[in-house]
Amino acid sequence: MSWAVLSMIILGFALLSFFWRFEKRDVSPKEIALISTMASMAAISRVLFAAIMNVQPTTFVVMITGYVFGPHTGFVVGAIAALVSNFFLGQGPWTPWQMFSWGMCGVSAGLLAGIQKGFKPGRFTVLAGLWGYVFGWIMNIWHWTAFVYPLNWKTFVATYAASFPFDTLHAAGNVVFALIFGQSFYYTLSRFRKKISVKYIDDLS
Amino acid sequence: MLIYKKKDSLIYELHPVTTVSFIAAITLLALIFSHPVYLLGLLLAVGMAVAAAEITREWFYYLRFSLGMMAVIIIVNTIFVQAGTTVVFSGPRIPGLGRVKVTMEALLFSIAMGIRLVVAMSAFCLYTYAVNPDKVLKLFGRFGNRSILTAIMAARLFPLMIKDFKRIVEVYRCRGVKLNTGSWLQRSKNILPVMNVLLLSCLERSFQLAESLWIKGYGSGKRTFYNRDLWRPRDFIVVFSVLISLIIGIWAAIKGWASYTYYPRVESFNLGEIKLAVFLTFILIVPAVLNWGWKRWPLLKSKI
Repeated sequence: MSWAVLSMIILGFALLSFFWRFEKRDVSPKEIALISTMASMAAISRVLFAAIMNVQPTTFVVMITGYVFGPHTGFVVGAIAALVSNFFLGQGPWTPWQMFSWGMCGVSAGLLAGIQKGFKPGRFTVLAGLWGYVFGWIMNIWHWTAFVYPLNWKTFVATYAASFPFDTLHAAGNVVFALIFGQSFYYTLSRFRKKISVKYIDDLS
Repeated sequence: MLIYKKKDSLIYELHPVTTVSFIAAITLLALIFSHPVYLLGLLLAVGMAVAAAEITREWFYYLRFSLGMMAVIIIVNTIFVQAGTTVVFSGPRIPGLGRVKVTMEALLFSIAMGIRLVVAMSAFCLYTYAVNPDKVLKLFGRFGNRSILTAIMAARLFPLMIKDFKRIVEVYRCRGVKLNTGSWLQRSKNILPVMNVLLLSCLERSFQLAESLWIKGYGSGKRTFYNRDLWRPRDFIVVFSVLISLIIGIWAAIKGWASYTYYPRVESFNLGEIKLAVFLTFILIVPAVLNWGWKRWPLLKSKI
């Protein structure tokens, strides 16, 4: 079987497994509304900055959502932001890969929030910068497996080297957005999370 | 705001499952095939479907966009792969790589992979411009209620948020905040409150959305489905042709007819393989041919 087809199948299963978990979770209307709002906001930020290649606040918006609301919400926001923004920018073979990559940005930020208290701009910014490269590396898999032969270290390094300048731009953009908007977005979203968190008390006596 | 615009063509009148299955089959076959004749056949089929959908101008934008990706394919395959034997250019020695040798085989492989890329891009161009995203999302609603509802709502919110952004920017401009002039740092500082207000406004809207979801009974019971898209004879014809092409394509791939040996030396074409590729192309141009008949003969239009 072609490596490109195999990689698409694995990716499809990975996406399906995350969405399946989302379907099985007990999700309130508030959460649904919040996820669609943040996905739309991430998608818009991609369109607004479309002129500057690879410098888009989408990664940052997805990550900060994942950081505040957890890895599951982060994944769904990232995946849906990629899908929805491509309704307006154009779908391509890259869509499922972007869905997965942005989804994983949200997951990693959610996991980072799990191991530290509050918002630590330094660590968050480093992670955002790293995702500039990791995002490109995930996207390159399809390009390498579908259009390059033989699949060896030489062609692998060459393919990844070709994307290096674009990945660096993405990483730099993420770092700048995280530094400028990180703190304020974190406070706004955290306040909102408290607003939508409802605890039902059964017995008041 | 969606870039999908309905036009007077049969392609837009097909059931979304039919169009999506045609596009998926073209993409899958492009990934399976490495034989240049088979790839050219796919390109012809998808190109005719694009022309039938009257989106050739948009198609050229897609092709222009793929030029950069094509350049990477050519550079990586010709410079970094030394598996061919017919040297057409011998370049300087590069540390770590040795002498750069561009071979005819690597060039031909790059061209074939370029065609593969164009086929995949064309198939997605057709999907972007000729398939209603709402209808496709609703198709999957049966399997993923929450995910699809979230995606549909996100798509609906998109134009609203763009409006919000423009409104907030105007308000800030009226207050004398300069968003287009000054240094990069100054503009970034000025855009900060705009983004914060946009975020707050979006979050407030999500409250209203949640309330209307609640009022409309979201989560109160099992979801019902209503589908307005009918299956017509044209859908059966296209789906049948897609199934036949998939069977032939997979069979050709299993038999090894759809693959081609580029390295160490390109092999000659086999007439039997070419005949099958031509047959496969004829099957895949069915939607374009049907569209031609659909426009030409009102009787056919009424029957299918």
